[in-house]
Amino acid sequence: MGVTLSRLTLWRCFFRSLFLQAGFSTEGMQSLGLVYALSPALQALYQDPERRQAAFKRHLTPFNTHPYVAAAIVGGILFHEQRIASGDEGPEPVERFKALLMGPLAALGDGFFWLSLRPAVGAVSVALVPLIGAWAVAFYVVAYNLVHFTARWRLFRFGLSLGDELVPRLATWKVPAWGRRLRVVTAAVVGGTASWLAVRFGVQASGWLEPALDGASLVFGVVAVFLLTRKVNAYLLLYVSAALVIALAAFGVV
Amino acid sequence: MLLPSLITGLWGGLLALERRAFLQAALSRPLPAACGVGLMLGDVTAGLMVGLVFELFHLGGASLGGVNPDHETVPAVTSTALAVMLAQHAPGTAARPALWALAILVCAPTGILGRRVDTRLDARARRYFGRVVNAAAAAGDVERAVQQNLRAMWPHFVFYGLLSASAAVLGVLAAPVVQQCPPGLLRGLAWSYPVLGTVAAAMAVHASQGQGRLRVAAVAALVVALVLLGALGARAWA
Repeated sequence: MGVTLSRLTLWRCFFRSLFLQAGFSTEGMQSLGLVYALSPALQALYQDPERRQAAFKRHLTPFNTHPYVAAAIVGGILFHEQRIASGDEGPEPVERFKALLMGPLAALGDGFFWLSLRPAVGAVSVALVPLIGAWAVAFYVVAYNLVHFTARWRLFRFGLSLGDELVPRLATWKVPAWGRRLRVVTAAVVGGTASWLAVRFGVQASGWLEPALDGASLVFGVVAVFLLTRKVNAYLLLYVSAALVIALAAFGVV
Repeated sequence: MLLPSLITGLWGGLLALERRAFLQAALSRPLPAACGVGLMLGDVTAGLMVGLVFELFHLGGASLGGVNPDHETVPAVTSTALAVMLAQHAPGTAARPALWALAILVCAPTGILGRRVDTRLDARARRYFGRVVNAAAAAGDVERAVQQNLRAMWPHFVFYGLLSASAAVLGVLAAPVVQQCPPGLLRGLAWSYPVLGTVAAAMAVHASQGQGRLRVAAVAALVVALVLLGALGARAWA
């Protein structure tokens, strides 16, 4: 490969990829953020203003993917742009690479990070609050970002070194299987937490009321899940249940 | 009033950027966001207890395919600020869970407001970038076009910063009103805090995506209930 990017330029591109969604719009979506991330590399690779402008313009087309796994696409684009700048290939492969990968990688990132890892770490942290207090927040931020930043950096390196070959490498990570396991953890932890909150409600009372409230609040939790599966609005449920409890207190029941 | 409002406003504005524009490292999730504002205003416990409810309530919320979910950060920050300021300016009026529940009930709809504002700002960005970015790129000034990426963060920072700061101001202004509340209402609010937590946990069970999630959650709930009730029973027996 004739033209290569310096380590500093690569770091700048990686850092700027953390701003991918800053200029999000309903038209270009993340295109502005993508060009912002690529900017140091494109300026280093293309001294000729016309070639540089052409490079910028080919990445100003609509672009949308998961912000974490976008690091793989940013790395892959840099892999291709180095080859384009060296004259080893034309602009078509990089455009194809972007168009082919952004959809599947968005699905992979949404499924794992947004719908599996984040709920699992969030649920475990909430469950830890009664045990370790504010340290649960430290656990949340550290545990989540250990996976998040490791994945982001490794995906960037994969894209940069493997280009189109990063897909088979990603398949070896077995991301969907890890996502399924984490979703089971989430369901178990939030179930346990719901039960803990319900019993806590009962222990505020004393005498005969305590077991009655324990049982009633556990049943209430089950009813709440049932109503939510029946598409009852969650906000409505929140306000109606609070109003019921306030009414019970007003009548001296609790 | 000025300093807590300033702190809350800055924190809320910065977290709105972290949530959407930069990093997305879970600092803006309800539990860390609320704990942070609670720590800065001098009441970590309020932050933890309010953040816990919103963390569960918004556990399954995610931006998928460019569609905005309810804003989870702004209700967590505003509720905590409101609860802390009420506790500081109406001391001894009500049990702390009553103030947590009141703040949650007042500020929960800001999540819906946040989603609508995000959607408006996205549409505004489309119009703005259609004009500025495309014109700059067509004129060959690509660097100017690229810099718009950072400028696009300002509206989010300003709007959510002001909204967060206003919750701290509301806490100060509403304290005399809370002091006039009938004791029955405040007792009811205190009782409603665990119920709000239970609804939020039910929401989290519903939103968790796993296969057989209801069965898994039910088994876990049963085990925890049996252990807790067993422990309480043993303590009562002793």
